[in-house]
Amino acid sequence: MTRRGVAITGVGVVSAAVTGDSAALGAFLAAPVAPAGEALGAGALAALVDPGEARRLSRVCQLTIAAARLALRESGVDPAAGLGLVVGTEFGDLASTHAFADGFLERGPGGLSALLFPNTVMNTMVATTAIAVGAREMALTLNVPTVAGELAVARAAAALASGRVPAVLAGGVDELDPVVERELARLGFGAECRGEGAAFVVLEPRAAADARGATVLGEVSAAVWGALPARPWGVGRTRHSRAIDAALAAAGARPRDLGWVYASGSRDDARDRWEAQVLGAALGAAAPVSTLGRLLGRHAGLGVLRVAAAAWTARSGLLPATDGTTRVERVRPGRGLVHGLARGGTHVALVVDAA
Amino acid sequence: MTPVVITGLGAASPYGAGVAAFWKGLAGGACAIRELSLIETDGFRCRLAAEVPEPLAGSTRRTRADRLALGAAGEALADAGLGARDRAAAALVVGAVGGGMLEAEAWYWRDPRDGARPASLSAVRGVLPSAHAEMLASRFRLGGPRHTVVTACSSGAVALAEAAELIADGVVEVAVAGGVDAITRICFMGFNALKLLDPAPCRPFDRERRGMSIGEGAGFMVLESAARARARGARVYATLAGHGMTTDAFHVTAPEPEGDGMVRAMTAALARAGAAPREVQYANAHGTGTLQNDRIEAHALARVFGEGGLLVSSSKSMIGHTMAAAGSLEAIATVLALEHGLVPPTASLATPDPDVPFDCVPLAARAARLTCAISNSFGFGGQNVTLLFRRGGGR
Repeated sequence: MTRRGVAITGVGVVSAAVTGDSAALGAFLAAPVAPAGEALGAGALAALVDPGEARRLSRVCQLTIAAARLALRESGVDPAAGLGLVVGTEFGDLASTHAFADGFLERGPGGLSALLFPNTVMNTMVATTAIAVGAREMALTLNVPTVAGELAVARAAAALASGRVPAVLAGGVDELDPVVERELARLGFGAECRGEGAAFVVLEPRAAADARGATVLGEVSAAVWGALPARPWGVGRTRHSRAIDAALAAAGARPRDLGWVYASGSRDDARDRWEAQVLGAALGAAAPVSTLGRLLGRHAGLGVLRVAAAAWTARSGLLPATDGTTRVERVRPGRGLVHGLARGGTHVALVVDAA
Repeated sequence: MTPVVITGLGAASPYGAGVAAFWKGLAGGACAIRELSLIETDGFRCRLAAEVPEPLAGSTRRTRADRLALGAAGEALADAGLGARDRAAAALVVGAVGGGMLEAEAWYWRDPRDGARPASLSAVRGVLPSAHAEMLASRFRLGGPRHTVVTACSSGAVALAEAAELIADGVVEVAVAGGVDAITRICFMGFNALKLLDPAPCRPFDRERRGMSIGEGAGFMVLESAARARARGARVYATLAGHGMTTDAFHVTAPEPEGDGMVRAMTAALARAGAAPREVQYANAHGTGTLQNDRIEAHALARVFGEGGLLVSSSKSMIGHTMAAAGSLEAIATVLALEHGLVPPTASLATPDPDVPFDCVPLAARAARLTCAISNSFGFGGQNVTLLFRRGGGR
């Protein structure tokens, strides 16, 4: 839905494998080492969240704030000039919700925490991050399975393209929740590579970025979201993607112009097969596909990290292999696609170009 | 930008199913806040809420919130007369907070420690706010862009603003949008823990107000480009002429004391609509009944419209705070006020707060010539939304 160039001028990633800005992400992607464990240690957060925030805020809020600060610092954007915030998440702060409920179940009404309650609302990460960074324009939390991060970037890019905000912090965040992990495993979804972390990009109109002399890391040339028919939490059969067609048209690109694709595969086999069919129908088999899902585990932050990774691939001509190894392929730099397809059918396509 | 009009309305409210029942209740000033029956209330200071009475739409196998959404969205689609082809291209934007939490709580409550709960996909997936959009898209074959927004108590209003942007930007010509929430234990207990609930039905803008009452419901609208609505001869209820979305960036639960974020939202809505403050005759206030919110909202309204500059009322005085549905149900109330030339009252307003410098339409609805009105919604985290409606034409 974006038809004007949107520049990426800042990247912030907080994950088990890599924490830092675009340079740290690039270094990781050039020689990716799978993390020893899936969970993110507390140490990575300590330097990015002040002690007061660490005492007051839930872990998932801390992840969000840390990644947002990294991205904002790299971009040099001044929030006082107008900054929007769009955050995608699949599960929000479920840990606080469980803790709040447990307080009641263990001690009755006297066990309820007034401090925990606001965290049970999924926009708590946006609310605390808006306060932490001073974002006072539109602030949205988008909830969808699998593609919440990609959707946040697409929605933010649309807001910029229509001139509604001068700059947007677009991010994604999720944390591993033991109740969710246990239940998904019991329901047969245990093989999926799931992870946690937060990632942000700072987006602004290309002209504005150039005018203030910002370093442009990449450009979102088109961002489209739509839906393919599917039952709730199901996979569908439709292969034709209007979203990919529309994104390519908006970017003035043909399928063969794409040097590579970042897709949302995560070893959810039925969903992965459907996405492969959709990509195959739209693009043929020419462009190499990477997912990063096996490397970092699926979470809403990964969708945004893929957009930042796409900007890196567009610059470097390097693409991490999908198989979770340290292998990196040489690809045609310049232009590629970030694609996400969720169970239930929500569908995002972003064309990313080198600066 | 493309003008956006409202061509379909649907509601599931504490007055029951349907827009007709909703308007009848509001226009009559009927308070639907009663003893809460859905969940246990033992040990809590407040035991009241505004529940949606049976029968609800859809199968009992669906979550309560899904059933509320199904009824309201189905009514809006039928009201707009959208055919299969229209629906296949229509966007869907849902504002939600609790998702299927009521049912997930029942599952979680079974035994918190020993793992004896049966495996349940709905307890893991149905609990998410996005579950409603997936269900509605599948049930009504809505094939356009779809997303779920969570901005706490302003979610329903944000969904309408988001849909309006998709149409104004030319992404789609038609959208279905609204908010939904069912009463949940978490919500009821949480507001009790914050001591924000009035043990009696809430009294927004009253000097003796002691907090809010929670409620539940769903409100959906069909929005479309004015040109398309004209071309197909659709009934136009009103024009969504402008909206503003801002963030306080101040506190997670408390509004910024000067109401700056609220003022910016109202000012942005006026600017987008090209409207002067004097053109707006009525504000359907966020009006929760908490000491702080009502005082700050009144202050913000006065900063934008001047003291006494317009009529103000709170639908929450009658249907409670329906959470993610509040913004969309109150938007429907605003549209119907424009259509009927009747301002719904603020029920239970016996002793107006002298710090609220507006006529808050106490107790009984009032006839008024209305051409332009706003609906305010403010959520946890300082998430402010103002929708500005202009009276539309007839069929």
